[in-house]
Amino acid sequence: MFKLAWRNLLHERARLIISVGGVALAVMLILLMAGIFAGSEEHAVAYIKRQPADLWLMQDGVENLHMSSSLLPPQVVEDVRGIAGVYQAVGLLYSTGAVDLGETEVYSYIFAVEKGAPFGGPWDLMEGAGSPGIDEVILDSDLAARYGLGLGDTVDLLGKQLRIAGLSEGTFGIATSITFVNKQTLAGLMGVPPDAASYVLIRPESDADRVQVADRLKEAIPEANLMTREAFVASDQEMIRQMGADVIRAMNSVAYVVGLLVIALTVYTATVERAREYGVLKAIGADTALLMRVVAAQAFISSGFGFLVGIPLAYGIGALITTLLPEMLIVIEPDNLLGQVPVLLAITAAASLLPLGRIIRLDPMTVFKG
Amino acid sequence: MDYVLELQDVSKTYGHGRTAVKANDRVNLQIQPGEIVLIMGPSGSGKTTLLSMAGLLLSTSSGIICVLGEQIDHASASHRAHMRLKTLGFVFQSYNLMESLTAIENVELVMNMAGVRGSRAKERARELLAMLGLGERLDHKPADLSGGEKQRVAIARALANDPPLILADEPTGNLDSKTGQEVMELLCCGLGRDQGRSIVIVTHDHRLRSIADRVLWLEDGQLSETDGNYLPEMT
Repeated sequence: MFKLAWRNLLHERARLIISVGGVALAVMLILLMAGIFAGSEEHAVAYIKRQPADLWLMQDGVENLHMSSSLLPPQVVEDVRGIAGVYQAVGLLYSTGAVDLGETEVYSYIFAVEKGAPFGGPWDLMEGAGSPGIDEVILDSDLAARYGLGLGDTVDLLGKQLRIAGLSEGTFGIATSITFVNKQTLAGLMGVPPDAASYVLIRPESDADRVQVADRLKEAIPEANLMTREAFVASDQEMIRQMGADVIRAMNSVAYVVGLLVIALTVYTATVERAREYGVLKAIGADTALLMRVVAAQAFISSGFGFLVGIPLAYGIGALITTLLPEMLIVIEPDNLLGQVPVLLAITAAASLLPLGRIIRLDPMTVFKG
Repeated sequence: MDYVLELQDVSKTYGHGRTAVKANDRVNLQIQPGEIVLIMGPSGSGKTTLLSMAGLLLSTSSGIICVLGEQIDHASASHRAHMRLKTLGFVFQSYNLMESLTAIENVELVMNMAGVRGSRAKERARELLAMLGLGERLDHKPADLSGGEKQRVAIARALANDPPLILADEPTGNLDSKTGQEVMELLCCGLGRDQGRSIVIVTHDHRLRSIADRVLWLEDGQLSETDGNYLPEMT
């Protein structure tokens, strides 16, 4: 029966193209939406991932960078540096706020470390200074270029005019950017002492046992929370997923419904148009189960091809979007691809059921109508 | 003796009450192995209804239908489908081939449905089509075949599972007289009677009387024997 299903599809190529195209479109939409979400998630944890700090110290009760407020006492950074096995420790001040670019405002994650800190600044500097001085800022290069800004221009951040001292790359997301400022400047804007830190980024000595260092840190500073980089990233990703889960679920549902409707309608139309042929099959001895297998085979072939076409389409369109809009980081993960397979199988099976009533009611007597 | 097909007092009524129409009224019919029977009658006389009941496509209002001695009129839909597949072959006026399949694939299809697959099915389909003069047209789709060729493919399909009984509904209805005669001679003589196969043909075509063993006349839902030399008006 597979051959009949296959030939039926090939016999109506226009319908096959519409069917495969519809499924491919739905698959592409699902993958792109998930990719955009994964991209924004990646952007949100980019700073944590890009810093060479294996351990992060933060205020007790805090487990995230985003949507939380952490402030550690000023002497904590020095305390950490005194712990055996700690190679480097950098005090980080973190805030969020809108960067006023003249034409528009862009929400920004704002990071500040002491001038001359071994890390904590931009990881991919395109132009200018890598460590901003007083009243200076490092902006994303794509963001600056979009609004005609360059080195020496000024932007307003948290109500203060700052001069652009450097331009970084990979620091512009869909709705947010990553901005680096001088720690003293940010401390002034936040109203905290200049040596205060929201987090302490800790790099153990290369030959030190990370677990032992962590234990020592917990013992020496029990009033703070210590997390590994991996745990900190996972915690932020989980929070972002929870925040966006409803939105992404709604968007995916729309794409799934589009896919379901396309498959269902094409399968149903194909069945209706071939009703006479199915009637003939019924007349010459096919039972309903066999006819359903033909219909289901057509649906699964269409959605299988749609899936295969949808994947490169998603990658291609994703690459095009990223080229045109650098802030749109789209991450299509293999796990996500595989995750769509059972969903697609389920909606294809559901679509196959739509013509079931039609098949059952088929009157084999149609064969006698000349 | 077991008849290939036997109808005992079979009636079919459409509708109910004052709008009821009796298409067949207490029809009795016995078909012997190898027998070729023509059923003729005017339009609306109930020929197609009779053939549909005989072909297990339509349930009876009353009466008994036996195929190869097995009473089948009250069997389940799936059993009747199985019986149609294994014991009956159908030839229709409008051929009813699968447009997306080639000639050989159309014939193979019913064998596949009956569980015969692969080279065995292909070989049998090839052999049947060759016997029907379509050895060179195996890979043509119905759209590329003439009416006579299509009907020959339909005959090959009807014979594919080697059924003991063929039911044909106006098989020459869409063919010119010469082609119609050729096709029916192939079906009835070479592949029918000579192989012990029974054939029931519902037709308006008087010329087919010469190949039939018996000619039956159906009028107002009632079946009667005729010698075939004199037939009432068909209109």
